[in-house]
Amino acid sequence: MKCEEAQELITALIDHELIGPEQVSIEEHIEGCSSCRFIHSRQLALKSAVHKAGAGLKAPAALKERILHDPRVFRPKPAVFEPLRTSRLYLRPALAVALLILLVLPLLYMMRPAAKPLSLNALEVHEKIIGGELSFIRGGSPEAIKEALYRSVAGAFAPMTYDLTALKLKAVGGTVREFDGRKVLVTIYEGDGLTVTCYTFLGTETDAPPAAERFYDAVKKINFYTYARGGINAVMHREGNLICILVSPLPAPQLLSLARSNA
Amino acid sequence: MTHLDHLYRVAVHLAKEPDQAHDLVQETYARALGSYEQFVAGTHLKAWLTKILHNLFFDRYREAKRWVSVEEDKAGKDEEGDYWQRIPAENPGPESNVLRGELSDKISDAIKKLPEEFRTLIVLVDMEDFSYAEAAEILSCPLGTVRSRLSRGRELLHRYLKDYVGTKEKV
Repeated sequence: MKCEEAQELITALIDHELIGPEQVSIEEHIEGCSSCRFIHSRQLALKSAVHKAGAGLKAPAALKERILHDPRVFRPKPAVFEPLRTSRLYLRPALAVALLILLVLPLLYMMRPAAKPLSLNALEVHEKIIGGELSFIRGGSPEAIKEALYRSVAGAFAPMTYDLTALKLKAVGGTVREFDGRKVLVTIYEGDGLTVTCYTFLGTETDAPPAAERFYDAVKKINFYTYARGGINAVMHREGNLICILVSPLPAPQLLSLARSNA
Repeated sequence: MTHLDHLYRVAVHLAKEPDQAHDLVQETYARALGSYEQFVAGTHLKAWLTKILHNLFFDRYREAKRWVSVEEDKAGKDEEGDYWQRIPAENPGPESNVLRGELSDKISDAIKKLPEEFRTLIVLVDMEDFSYAEAAEILSCPLGTVRSRLSRGRELLHRYLKDYVGTKEKV
């Protein structure tokens, strides 16, 4: 091996980048060549000196600071506290509003107009049916009307049926109304120029208007509540969890008698 | 900050001006974070950062190619300087530290005088202990080029430092 050829191999030998025949070859050459042995020693010393020179070189603090403040490197933390600051800004007004609502709402609730008893709606419905303002499904036998109404509330309860043949009245149709989320089955009886409407819904005796007159049937042990508006009379009573109301322009005693006889 | 000192050492020897070196390091971190999805977990982070830094240097400050023929000047075998060996390796006193500091500056200055092709490899392999394969990957050059440039670079560097670094062995 010529010395010129050995130069690069000496470099690689120093860097431990030689293996196998190349390493053996250059080691043998160095052993027998004082010039290349000197170059080898010189490169070793140089490499060691360069390494030591670098070891003492540290990044200056100013550079660290510069990088630390580079938003591309260290992105500012998401402003998680920003919404809090904003909310703090509005915290007092928000609390004041909440307090006001808490105080005012119960007052408004107490001052609200008394809810109209469901039973009074029966009078309005009756007036609308008489006045033709409210349509209802006509036709079919009383049984068919009852069945249709029963299905309309998914079998939850059935409409009360009355035998009004003495007054020459028969069921001619029915409809379903809803008041405050409560469904009311309405059966319309007609005959001889008279219309009687019958209302059935789930409820209690508290559904009776406060001004209604109560009549207690000692035999049947049932309370009957009578009330009227604009010449229209109504009689309400309870059978189990069902409330039944008869509405008609018939005189109140006659209507009460009719209700009692069918109860 | 991972590998900051290492990146600084490479940058300070590649760039001519300290400000350029600072810019290179700062930009390297910014670029690395911007393209972190390209880094393959489990691979050599230090080499990856160094490659980014070198590419930045190449794009921004790379000087014109200056090939230096070291074969033309064979002078230097007759070394007078034995500076490194004169400094005690163990238990150095205050005076030795001063001398070491002076020598480090001389070496640093000498490296900066090398053409870029040699300078980069001297820094990567001799100062930062990269293997030839890693250096080849960083510089995107063949393995054989690394070896030949290193050999020539060391020869030239020795010429610059012949008064300061040598060996007791004489021809």
